[in-house]
Amino acid sequence: MLIELKNIVKNYDNGGVVTKVLRDVNLSVEEGEFVAIMGPSGSGKSTLMHTIGFLDRPTSGTYLFDGENTEGFSDDELARIRNNRIGFVFQSFNLLPRTSVLDNVMLPLMYNNSKANQEHRAKVALEAVGLGERLNFMSNQISGGQKQRVAIARALVCDPKVIFADEPTGNLDSKSGSTVMNILEKLNKEGRTIILVTHDKQVALHANRIVTIRDGEIVSDVLVPESERVHSKEIKDDTDL
Amino acid sequence: MNNIYLKQAIRGIKSNPSRTLLTTLGIMIGIGTVILVLSAGEGFKSYINSQVEAFGTNTVIVQTSVPSSTKSRSGGSSSKEANNSASNAVPITTLKIHDIEDIQNLNNVKNAYGASVGQQIVTYKGISKTALIFGASAARFDIDKGVIANGRGYSYQEDKSLSQVALLGSKVASDLFGDTNPVGKEIRIGNSNFEVIGVYASKGGFGPMNEDEQVFVPVTTLQRKIQGIDYLIYGVVELMDNSKADATSLGIADLLRHNHYINDPIKDDFKVQTQKESLSTFDTILQAVTFLLIAIASISLIVGGVGVMNIMYVVVTERIGEIGLKKALGARGRDILYEFLIEAVLLTLIGGVIGIIGGSFFAFLIAKFAESMGLAWKFIVPIWGVIISVSVSMIIGIVFGVFPARNAARLDPIVALNRE
Repeated sequence: MLIELKNIVKNYDNGGVVTKVLRDVNLSVEEGEFVAIMGPSGSGKSTLMHTIGFLDRPTSGTYLFDGENTEGFSDDELARIRNNRIGFVFQSFNLLPRTSVLDNVMLPLMYNNSKANQEHRAKVALEAVGLGERLNFMSNQISGGQKQRVAIARALVCDPKVIFADEPTGNLDSKSGSTVMNILEKLNKEGRTIILVTHDKQVALHANRIVTIRDGEIVSDVLVPESERVHSKEIKDDTDL
Repeated sequence: MNNIYLKQAIRGIKSNPSRTLLTTLGIMIGIGTVILVLSAGEGFKSYINSQVEAFGTNTVIVQTSVPSSTKSRSGGSSSKEANNSASNAVPITTLKIHDIEDIQNLNNVKNAYGASVGQQIVTYKGISKTALIFGASAARFDIDKGVIANGRGYSYQEDKSLSQVALLGSKVASDLFGDTNPVGKEIRIGNSNFEVIGVYASKGGFGPMNEDEQVFVPVTTLQRKIQGIDYLIYGVVELMDNSKADATSLGIADLLRHNHYINDPIKDDFKVQTQKESLSTFDTILQAVTFLLIAIASISLIVGGVGVMNIMYVVVTERIGEIGLKKALGARGRDILYEFLIEAVLLTLIGGVIGIIGGSFFAFLIAKFAESMGLAWKFIVPIWGVIISVSVSMIIGIVFGVFPARNAARLDPIVALNRE
């Protein structure tokens, strides 16, 4: 089991007013799964993703990652897990401005213990998302779809076990969105675990399992029959070479 | 590789170059002032040293001096008025030419001359000029390093016999004579006629001490024929062995006390100063001035440091989203801390380097100006000053950068990411 959440509770304390964001969440994800977490805004799906992604600590409960209990891990240990076991893809891309595509992809490697072949590894990651030719473009010189692909390359570069994608198509037109989903599907086929957060059913149907969360509780957890799964094609961006 | 920190810091600084320059202005001015003060101080020292060398390095100066007992005494018969005038105008009249002759007989004394000065109008063919008339014994030609470009100096005999002969500083010669050769011509000093026997080569200098503007005559002639006095202003004693300068100056003091009937050193009407002493006096003054100016420059450095701190807080706020992203990608708190610290140090270092260049440039201008005035002024930027300036600017970066950087390092990744 790659991810095992047991009785996870997350409360936010806003000046004495306690908001219960996650109430007793239990969730297991196996290696190689493609899980979509769905729910309306305010349902706690983002908090859930942040907790699974070690960006946030649960108030109580146990989190086993790759069989290891992560309770009591120091901030530095969590940073290390984020760096080489997890890749993040955000809705708004979050690329460094005034920085080349290559340098953006190399950024996680800078915080990585393995210093060898950084540039080569970044190029391989960029080729995997079809951007091997755009290494020296500045992050503001490329289209939104390409930005998200750079972000996926950045998530891939440390060869993580799992990729978290938080509304990865939220800021994209349907063509670019389709290309991005196609890449995620491909990565999943190659054996990488994908956890996707979305409120869009069509996007969620790319996954093989949909977890629905409402008011901080998991209300459904179903496998998607192969017949209902959506598969996106790679659609060439107008600006692609 | 550590260059991630440097690369990120450089990117941060390049993102807003004009702000970078403004931020580091305080550091620039502070460091620039320090370098300017140090360099100009060194240059001034080189000038003073050259002046001292012109006097001869192995010399002792005997000056008349108002006794400290007179200065401190209050009350008494003619107290106040006498006091004031004693320290202001009334010259000490006790140093005589025979004192200098006696000094010449002391151990370790090679040569000595007495000197008196006065201001007179010098005239040649209707052109006149006010000049400092410098009277010295003939021994001066053996001790001082002045070069007579044309003609000769006067002899011991001419000094003793009140000969009316004069040497001209180069400026006096050109002012009075233009292109004519002054040697052999007759000039008027005050009410007496003098024969010009020599012209000095230009020495350079400024103010009343500029020897190019002076006229040189035998001291006895100046005293008797022009000033109507019999005392000296000071004497210069050349030593055989400079290492015994302190003992010799004590001997000179004893001799003068004996000659002047003084039994208490507090009543000394003279001062004996070795070159070492006059240099160290000068050094003390220079150090005090340097210290004061650097203290003032430090205020600018502190203000500059606070400016850097202020901007770093702004930068941290501006880049909260970026900090969150980096943390999500695995940056530890200390990675973020180092990035911002290095950026702050880079900022202050840029200011420091520009300050060093600017300060050196102004020091260079001062040196060029001094040189154009004919002073032997060297342009020196002390390397230790540069090293200290670089270190100080880096330390300022660390001291004033650490708080903003720590703020950045402590940011919660979620809070930071959500601020985007």
